[in-house]
Amino acid sequence: MKGTDRLRRLASYAFFAALAIAAVSCNEAHPNSTLVPHSDFGREIDFLWNRLLLLGTIVFVLVESALIFVVIKYRRRENQQPPPQTHGSTKLEITWTLIPAVILVFIAVPTVRTIFITQAQAAPGSLNIEVTGHQWWWEFRYPEYGVTTANEIYLPVGRTVNFRLRSADVIHSFWTPQLGGKRDVVTNRTNYIWYTPDSSTASSVWNGFCVEYCGASHANMRFRVFTVTPDQFASWVAGQKMPAHFGAVGPTLTAGPPGYIFPRDKIPDYAVPHGPIPADLRFTPGLTGNAARGKQVFSGAACIGCHSIAGNPIAMGVTGPNLTHVGSRSTIAAGRFPNAAAYLALWIKNARKMKPEVLMPTLGLDEYDPVLKAKVTAATGGLTDQQIADIVAYLTALK
Amino acid sequence: MTAPAARIPAVHTSAPAAHHYTTLGLDNRKVAIWAFIGSECMLFVSLISTYLIYKGRSVVGPFPHETWTDPSTGHVLKPILNIPVTSASTFVLLMSSLFMVLALAAVQNKEKPKRTRGERILGNSKLWLWMTAIAGTTFLGFQAFEFTSFVHEGLTIRTNLFGSSFFTLTGFHGAHVTAGVLWLVTLLAIDYRRGLGSRDSLLVDIAALYWHFVDVIWIVIFTLVYLIK
Amino acid sequence: MATTAISTPAYGGEYSGEQSGLWSWLSTVDHKRIGILYLYTALFFFMFGGLEALILRAQLGAPNQHLVSAEFYNQLFTMHGTTMIFLAIMPLSAAFFNFLIPLQIGARDVAFPRLNAFSYWVYLFGGIFITVPILFAVAPNGGWFGYAPLTTKPYSPGINIDFWVIGLQILGVSSLAAAFNFLTTIINLRAPGMTLMRMPMFTWMAFVVQFLLILAFPVITIALVFLLFDRFFGTNFYNTVSAGADPLLWQHLFWIFGHPEVYILVLPAFGLVSEVLPTYSKKPLFGYPVMVYSGILIAVLGFGVWAHHMFAVGMGPIADTFFGLTTMLIAIPTGVKIFNWIATMAQGAIRYTTSMLFGIALVALFTIGGISGIMHASPPADLQQTDTYFIVAHFHYVLFGGSIMGIFAGIYHYFPKIQGRLMDEKLGKIHFWLTFIAMNLTFFPMHFAGMLGMPRRIYTYDAGQGWDLYNAMSTAGAMIFPIAMLIFIYNFFKSRKSGEIAGSNPWGAGTLEWTIPSPPPEYNFARIPTVTSRYPIWEGKEVDHESARINAQEGKTAAELGIVMPYNTIKPLFVALGLIIMFCGLMTTPILIAAGAALLVFSLYSWLLSPLEPEHH
Repeated sequence: MKGTDRLRRLASYAFFAALAIAAVSCNEAHPNSTLVPHSDFGREIDFLWNRLLLLGTIVFVLVESALIFVVIKYRRRENQQPPPQTHGSTKLEITWTLIPAVILVFIAVPTVRTIFITQAQAAPGSLNIEVTGHQWWWEFRYPEYGVTTANEIYLPVGRTVNFRLRSADVIHSFWTPQLGGKRDVVTNRTNYIWYTPDSSTASSVWNGFCVEYCGASHANMRFRVFTVTPDQFASWVAGQKMPAHFGAVGPTLTAGPPGYIFPRDKIPDYAVPHGPIPADLRFTPGLTGNAARGKQVFSGAACIGCHSIAGNPIAMGVTGPNLTHVGSRSTIAAGRFPNAAAYLALWIKNARKMKPEVLMPTLGLDEYDPVLKAKVTAATGGLTDQQIADIVAYLTALK
Repeated sequence: MTAPAARIPAVHTSAPAAHHYTTLGLDNRKVAIWAFIGSECMLFVSLISTYLIYKGRSVVGPFPHETWTDPSTGHVLKPILNIPVTSASTFVLLMSSLFMVLALAAVQNKEKPKRTRGERILGNSKLWLWMTAIAGTTFLGFQAFEFTSFVHEGLTIRTNLFGSSFFTLTGFHGAHVTAGVLWLVTLLAIDYRRGLGSRDSLLVDIAALYWHFVDVIWIVIFTLVYLIK
Repeated sequence: MATTAISTPAYGGEYSGEQSGLWSWLSTVDHKRIGILYLYTALFFFMFGGLEALILRAQLGAPNQHLVSAEFYNQLFTMHGTTMIFLAIMPLSAAFFNFLIPLQIGARDVAFPRLNAFSYWVYLFGGIFITVPILFAVAPNGGWFGYAPLTTKPYSPGINIDFWVIGLQILGVSSLAAAFNFLTTIINLRAPGMTLMRMPMFTWMAFVVQFLLILAFPVITIALVFLLFDRFFGTNFYNTVSAGADPLLWQHLFWIFGHPEVYILVLPAFGLVSEVLPTYSKKPLFGYPVMVYSGILIAVLGFGVWAHHMFAVGMGPIADTFFGLTTMLIAIPTGVKIFNWIATMAQGAIRYTTSMLFGIALVALFTIGGISGIMHASPPADLQQTDTYFIVAHFHYVLFGGSIMGIFAGIYHYFPKIQGRLMDEKLGKIHFWLTFIAMNLTFFPMHFAGMLGMPRRIYTYDAGQGWDLYNAMSTAGAMIFPIAMLIFIYNFFKSRKSGEIAGSNPWGAGTLEWTIPSPPPEYNFARIPTVTSRYPIWEGKEVDHESARINAQEGKTAAELGIVMPYNTIKPLFVALGLIIMFCGLMTTPILIAAGAALLVFSLYSWLLSPLEPEHH
């Protein structure tokens, strides 16, 4: 029976060791940790969490110690008298009913307080962002600025951002673990969540996830949040408001320089996707793309059925992400792959192989479309690698 | 040992209860029918709650109590529920519960001597079982009439939230009435074959419980769907 | 407490007059045999669901792996949950309800033996129906909770969800039928003198569970009817595309069922542990009335907490507050049980049998699960926890650390009663320690993965997110389970053949089932006992001991004792077959619906019109 109590002690030591490790974890190693708040909302929750953890640990230690003590002390010994046949004790029952009730009060009161604080209306003057969840990407609009983008948002620090959440199809859930709690994105319903990123978070990148199972590529529905200074934000907005910076047709062509973009080389590793490429998806090496030609191909291919590019009057599709400034984004395919020519080319060639069951059809000539279960032919609008390379050049120019 | 060919036995169609000790002194089937009715309550509560949740939220008509103009065709659709007719069918169903009570009483008192004509009529279990079954079937007839006329007026189970929740709710109820009618016909068959006597009270009693339950559910549905706007 | 005055005869294995052969199993209406059928079938599905989990864990062992496709992974996690809940834990509980309830209350069988058989066959056919699709990679893939509108036709056009909806409806029939049966049995077939407050705790918890089943299953039945009608007949219940439906309708209906369901999953294990701990501490259960009332309170409150699964959905502060508070409230009766179990062992003389180890483990591990549950009870805090691996950790602690540990405690404790032989204690202890270590190694790290931001239901995750270590630990832990299970299975079958003969009361326990031979004769009790106490063997008066003496005799057939036994009959199996054929017809051709209905109606009438047992005077 020594083995029993030794192993049980080991288990409790292991727990504390693990807890200690977790507690000292720094942000770098755990970039999505909910234990380190960076916003007002996060701090409200963190207060509750710390109290829950403290009380939970205390209860755990007390109960498990009592259990271990009892299990060891009262083991059967040789020639033992029959144990006392106690049936119960009203006093004990009352005690151990009241004590948990009191402990729960310490949880309930701050809980209710926090519920009403966090679900109050967002402060006036908040930055409104309309979020639309799609299978499997995020559409973001800044209605006050006329900016539409996808899978990436910029937030000015110190200003409350109020997310208005709607779904285009099934239920999703919008979550940036390090900035705030999650809120489901429910069909036929509008939900809200707001938080204020701390000033200390300027020049940071945060991961965002869909956290409600929404189908085949639920795991691939990610986004990025860049918290920047108010000046950088204003500059970013100015750039994003403009029509496409390449080949745009229309009166507002004389755009200024592209707005602020978070420097690629400053993006930490945890925000750079490492998604593997399917082994059987290949692209002809050494091709050079021409952006002007790419614009022609794009405007005559299936692309315009789903995508919009402000300044390209033919591209007005709304099923897929807005590509007006796609060249400025750090990732493609909703945070699944880095936004680089190689990945973009493969994505256009066979998106469905890169990301299971996406709505975007396979476009590469002779490629197998795993959803339609058929090969893409010239008749069905298949694109050659050169054509894809041109489109890539066009899209890359849309900064 | 395998069971003998089916015949209609006296009482031992179920657990040992009749001749064996039971804790409550009740037949097991009596206890079970109440448990069953409990679960059926939850079934209908879910159906009725859904109807009430979706009340007034249909995107297109027809609607139960309001007029609706189809924006694309300009057709005006009147409120589709017909309260007078449904009141009649509700009355018929209520009457059927009365007949069921009489049927049970007739079976329980089968062995008592009947002296007057009135007593003989009241004691005629076949008569009252028939009346219950016919009333139930009449109610079903009204339902069928209502459903088909709704379909002609443009409301199907697929039309809108009202159509889906209405037809599913009343359809489930109608299915329960149908099962009840089949049960009654089975009892009638037994009555014709070997006669139902006081030793069969339990069989008729649990049928009656079921029948009354189905009736009560209808009263709730009638009130919440038809009467309350 | 005196050890039983009845001698333990050298007897084990078959009893006189026991039937054998396949037909006797197909046509059985004996609750003990039906319990054994449930046990074997449920253990099979437990291992099948475990295999699904092993593949999941292999895929998640490292970031960006591609051992299985996303589509297949989504089927795996859906089926793992569905299998474990509906095909493993619930039927394992049913195995105990079946075998144990009549023996604990001093009855010869359940109230409706043929309905009992029917419940089993429907479970078996339903389990096959919902499991076979994964062998063809068309398994349900909407999660075990099947949220609309994802599971509606526009977003799940394939047959996967059809299998799920229909399969669950079939299984619901099985559970409801069994619930009516056991409820009637417990209410109406208790031996003379066995008041409700003298019933063994397992039967009490089982009693509470039957109420939960009867009230909760109809709600999911309707939720599934709506989904089935939407998918097959084009109704609009969850039609968010064109009819303005509210997806929260599904969520509310599902969780109004779903929360009582988790108490359905854990209360039987609580009941088993309440038998095990007193036996091996040689003391009665501490606080019996409080244990009864807390069980009832948990069940009642359990109907008032469902929306704590929906804290992220945006119900508004009033609803969040209400459900947060009720969820915290339900912790009180649950915690009270833990304390009473500890007090049961205190001042006892504890024997560390395998069964006892599993029982103690339940107390230890369920406490952890309960604590994390309180953490979720605070809606704002839950906004960081819900839909992450923190929740996965919580429910595996309560379901594995709770239900499964309790069920294993029950299996080791009752195996001698069922089979007449003891399981090997050495192998049992190895099974226990491997399971205990595997369980903690697999699920404890998930608390961390969750709080460090790992979402649920993802088939893969990127590197550099801070989750690698914890996933590796979980995967390593998961790989220990098959070893533990193999040892258990080996022990189970070896002991059946050649385990030490058990006798009627190898553990010196105190309740009625231990007064009869092991395995029990088909009639259970030679004479229905009279009961004067909660522990007839330990605390009973002379009339209890007199009954026990008569009932301990073995070797007598029912005929010799003048006891009338029910007929065997294959009719319940045919009714179940008719039902499943009808449902198959729903997915194929109306001809099958008609054929199935015909078989069902014909067999049902045949069943209802034939006698349960021979005429007796």
